[in-house]
Order: sequence, then structure tokens, then C-alpha cells
Amino acid sequence: MSGTDFQGPFHRCATIVENVPVARETYRIRLADPAIAGSIRPGQFVMIRPGGDGSDDPLLGRPLALYDVVRDASGAPVAFDVVYLVIGRGTSALSRRRAGESLSIWGPLGNGFGRAPEGPAVFVAGGIGQTPFLALGRDWLQPGGPCPSATLLYGVRSADLLAGVDDFHAAGVHVEIATDDGSAGHHGFVTDLLARRLDRGERPAKVVGCGPPAMLAALARLTERHGLDCDVSLENHMACGFGACFSCVAPIRQPDGSADLRRVCVEGPVFPARGVVWS
Amino acid sequence: MVDPRVTLGRLTLPNPVLVASGTFGYVREMSTFVRLDRLGGVIPKTVTARPRAGNPTPRTVETAAGMLNAIGLDNDGIDHFVAHHLPYLRTVGAPVIANIAGEDEDQFVAMAAQLGGEPGIAAIELNISCPNVSHGLDLGVDAEAVGRLVKRVRSECPLPIIAKLTPNVTNVVPIAAAAAEAGAAAVSLINTLRGMAVDWRRRRPILAYDVGGLSGPAVKPIALRMVWDVARALPELPIIGIGGIATADDALEFLVAGASAVQVGTATFYDPTAADRMVDEIASRAAEAGVRSLREIVGTLRSNRGG
Ligand SMILES: Cc1cc2nc3c(=O)[nH]c(=O)nc-3n(C[C@H](O)[C@H](O)[C@H](O)COP(=O)(O)OP(=O)(O)OC[C@H]3O[C@@H](n4cnc5c(N)ncnc54)[C@H](O)[C@@H]3O)c2cc1C
Ligand SMILES: Cc1cc2nc3c(=O)[nH]c(=O)nc-3n(C[C@H](O)[C@H](O)[C@H](O)COP(=O)(O)O)c2cc1C
Ligand code: FES
Repeated sequence: MSGTDFQGPFHRCATIVENVPVARETYRIRLADPAIAGSIRPGQFVMIRPGGDGSDDPLLGRPLALYDVVRDASGAPVAFDVVYLVIGRGTSALSRRRAGESLSIWGPLGNGFGRAPEGPAVFVAGGIGQTPFLALGRDWLQPGGPCPSATLLYGVRSADLLAGVDDFHAAGVHVEIATDDGSAGHHGFVTDLLARRLDRGERPAKVVGCGPPAMLAALARLTERHGLDCDVSLENHMACGFGACFSCVAPIRQPDGSADLRRVCVEGPVFPARGVVWS
Repeated sequence: MVDPRVTLGRLTLPNPVLVASGTFGYVREMSTFVRLDRLGGVIPKTVTARPRAGNPTPRTVETAAGMLNAIGLDNDGIDHFVAHHLPYLRTVGAPVIANIAGEDEDQFVAMAAQLGGEPGIAAIELNISCPNVSHGLDLGVDAEAVGRLVKRVRSECPLPIIAKLTPNVTNVVPIAAAAAEAGAAAVSLINTLRGMAVDWRRRRPILAYDVGGLSGPAVKPIALRMVWDVARALPELPIIGIGGIATADDALEFLVAGASAVQVGTATFYDPTAADRMVDEIASRAAEAGVRSLREIVGTLRSNRGG
């Protein structure tokens, strides 16, 4: 939370600037909202009601991570982007919204990622888990900062699901790809890419993961074995996004060693990988 | 100007807009969305005698115009509530109604007695209707048990007692009557309706707990009917209407059907500023209709069948 004037999270009615396909079943939506754009940090998310223009169907908001902040010519934040994969009713309704319509949204929500590490960073993404890492790459790679380089290890089922690779390149993030079907990059798991690097003796100062639980659990084991600092961003099912409903809990290890169910929307979504109790 | 104040027995509230237990966290979570001191009252999440982990996830799922939940009364217990949440609640500037659930009568009585000795609580709401915790028979479906419980709680706790009733019964009127007879200041209705959602491909219920409680716009017609049933049978008993309330018009429908106040529940999840906006909108809608005091419209609904 930069500055002392942060009053959020805010509940807003935001206008859609554009909502465009960027890969198979994947869209980038741009929402005009200076208040959220000006206060949201990498790793935080917003809740978006997908019905548009006040519609109650679908009923609940859907949690979606910050992808990028859009600035005007003077550098002032005016809008933000979210990139989403169509999964079910909510995201499919969202994909039918058009520029000029308005959406009910609230945010910024969640804790976000920590400070830039003193050394190279590796982002490990599975499926649509790459979305929080563009804003993070921009933040951590600021000139003169402690983090000299960032690499995105990006795994998807098939090449046509790759979304935003050019955005990452433009932000100075190296990208290495893995696909389940071998249609691009390494044929296999994205965690193989990290294991290979670690076997070669690389030691990133920080590893950050986002993706399906099985991938995150494998990442947690791998980084723990190598004694690396690793954070993960969890995608638990949410109803409110602001701590009121207790839908989104995950078992998190407490300082005294016990596991306690904590709300991912307020205490997360980013947790130290070691702190998560993987089932 | 409309006089927005409402009364529930000896409890006078600044306006009829309360927020429902379990849908407003411990209130502090909502402080950036809602001007808390404008609310008619706040009801934090149900507290139990001992800490409860609650149910595994998924705990909620969206359904047509509503949602199912099986949170399972996840909370840190009454001592933590008193030490950690109550000091904050005393500062919010709205009447605080604590909501408690016991595993048996003795636990309810002991918790009510403990909270009765704490300053800054306006009333106690008894959650005798949570469908997500199984310990034998649900207390809230048995009129005799409800009457006995309210009577015992009243003898140990000086605060006004509100019995929150379950809709999962064939007839709610005898249960409300038993609560009234035992001296409840009001009844609130409804809690959630038992339901389920199924993933037929996996041959599994979607909720980890299999079944859950239905809430949201889908339940509003049922809640209205139950409020009306109780209001007609027991015109002296103050009622707090709950179920799918999301707009000022929804709230006014409950008032004319017989509720003296309402609680906003699920709407907060998908419209986090709903309760805040409702406070003014109820007053302006009522003013437009020539109403001078909200109290005067409570229970004014007339039957089309000449009742
Ligand atoms: C903090 C956070 C950030 C996220 N960021 C992104 C992002 O940037 N891009 C993106 O494409 N997706 C993201 N997700 C996942 C996204 O929220 C779900 O894919 C989406 O809610 C699916 O909704 P639906 O109605 O289309 O699917 P359905 O399966 O029909 O949804 C039914 C219910 O389950 C919930 N749900 C289903 N899948 C998920 C899931 N994976 N995570 C959380 N809730 C789920 C829905 O919100 C909805 O309430 C994020 C999730 C979280 C928790
Ligand atoms: C996620 C969730 C959690 C709830 N938790 C509680 C609770 O702890 N105690 C309680 O008395 N009612 C609880 N309720 C019931 C609500 O207070 C309310 O009675 C019900 O949801 C109907 O109102 P609505 O349709 O406006 O949500 C919960 C409801 C939901 C949706
Ligand atoms: S989503 Fe409601 S508490 Fe986290």
C-alpha cells in the first residue's frame, strides 16, 4: 500500500475499454478505473461481476489477478488489464461483454507479492497462472533495483493457449515454455524446466509460482529440496474476495507449527510455499 | 423526512438495515465499503463456545440466483471473540448484535451469560438454525426445545434475545410462537434452506460437505412468505426479515409483510456497498410514497383474498 492516502478496496462501476482475444479461449479486458489502477500492486486481484451493466446473472464476482496497469501520456494510471481464460459460466459471460459497457468490480484485494529479491527471480506459471507475473516483472526489474533478471517458466497444455508472451519479452522478462503435448518448447511439465536449471547449479534469489495446486505442490517440494526461497499465489474458490464469507480458506502453517485454515483473499493469495499444507 | 427508526421490543434501532451473521465477517472487513455507523445494526459471524475449524473446501458454490454454503461455523471461539473482535465492534458506532451457537442448551446459556456481562452489546441472536453442523437433531425445528432454550437464556442474560429461525420446517409459526411465549424480543427469519449441487460427471456433490444452505435472491419469495405467515399469526412479535434482500424495494417488501427490520446477507458478497446505499434509499423510497415513519408501514400488507 503505497502512500498514506490509500482508502481501498473500492467498489466501482468501471467502463470496459476493450475486451479482446489474446489466445485460444483467453481474453484481455481493460477497465477504466484510475482509483484501482493507481493503488493495485502485483499479485493483488479484483473481483469482477461478469454480468455487466448491473445484471445479477451470474450472481457472484470472479477473482482475477492484475495483469498490467495502463498509464496516460503523463504516466498517470488510468486503467488496468486482466487476462482470463474461459472456464465456466462467469468467465464465459465476461467474454461476451463489449467495450463501453460497465462492470461492477471491487479491489485491490489480497496481499500481493513482496519486495524485489537481491538477485535473479524465476516465475513458474501453469495454465493461466502467468497473469500476475507481468506486473511483477515490471516492478522487480526497475532500473537500479536489486533484481537483475527475471525468467518466466510457462507451462500450458498446448501452444495455442500461450497468452502474452510478447508482453513479457517487452517487459524484459525471459520466457521459457513447456507444453503437455509438445506443440511448443519443452514437452512435459513446467517444473522440469526449473529442475533442469537447478541441476545446472543455478540459484535464483527468489522463485514465485502460480498455477494448479498439483503444480504448486511439486514446485514447493522442489524449491524446498534446493533450499530456495519460494512464494506461491493460490487460486481458491471465492465468493466475496474481502474476508466476509470464509469460502476461500487454505491450510496454512502457523508460527507455532500447527496448521490453521486462513482466508486466501485477505491473508493471501501469496504465501510462502513452505507455509502451505499441500493435500 | 421519514423517521427511519424501528423498534424490536425494548430495542430501538436507528434504521431497519442490519447485516446478517456470516455475511459481514467480523465487521472490520467491511469498513472500507460501508459507513458502519450508518447501519441499523451489525451482526458478526456466529461464535461458538470453543474454536471450530469449519468444513473442508469447497465451502460455497453459486447456483441459479443464489449460492449454497457449508462454512461449518469456522470461528475462534467466544473467548477470542470477546478479546479480539468485541473491542473493535464497540467502536463501529452501530448497535452490535452478537450471534451465538451452542452444541447444546447449556452451551447457549453459558455463552449468553458471558456476553450479557460485556458492555457494548445491544442484543443476542441465537443461531438455532444453522444447517451445516450436525449434532443430532437440529434444535431449531422443535418448538418446545426453542421455548425452553429462550427461557433459560433469558434468565441468565439481561440483553434482548432474538431467535433466528430455520425455514427447514413444515410450519414455522409454532416455533416462533414458542420463542415469543418464552420472551424473545424478536425472531429473525430466515436462515438458509438446505440444498445441494451436483457434478454428475464426477458423480459427486460439489460442496465438500455434500449439502449446504441456499441463500440469495432465489430464497426471497420463501422468506417473504414465512415473514408474512408469522406476522399474521403473531402480530405482537417483532420480526427481522432475512433472505435475498439486495435493494431498498426488497427491504420495503419485507417491512410491509410484517418485518420491523431486515438483514442484508448474500447481497454483500456481490454488492459490497449494498447495505450502505439501502439506508438512504429506503427512506427516500418511503418518502416518495408519502410515508412519514417506517414504523407505520410495518405489517401493512393486505391479502388479495380479503384478509
Ligand atoms: C486470486 C485469484 C486470482 C485469479 N486470477 C486469474 C487470472 O488472472 N486469470 C484467470 O483466467 N483466472 C484467474 N483466477 C481463476 C478464476 O477466478 C476462475 O477461473 C474463475 O472464477 C472461473 O469462473 P467461471 O464462472 O468461469 O467458472 P466456473 O467453474 O463455472 O465457476 C464456478 C465457481 O467456481 C469458482 N472458480 C472456478 N474455478 C476457479 C479457480 N481456478 N479459482 C478460483 N475460483 C474458481 C468461480 O469463481 C465460481 O464461483 C484467479 C483466481 C484467484 C483466486
Ligand atoms: C456464506 C454464508 C455464511 C453464513 N453464516 C451464518 C452464520 O454464521 N450464522 C448465521 O446465523 N447465519 C449465517 N448465514 C445465514 C445468513 O445470515 C442469512 O440468514 C441467509 O443467508 C439468508 O439471507 P440472504 O439470502 O440475504 O443471504 C450465512 C449465510 C451465508 C451465505
Ligand atoms: S472469498 Fe470471502 S472470505 Fe475469502
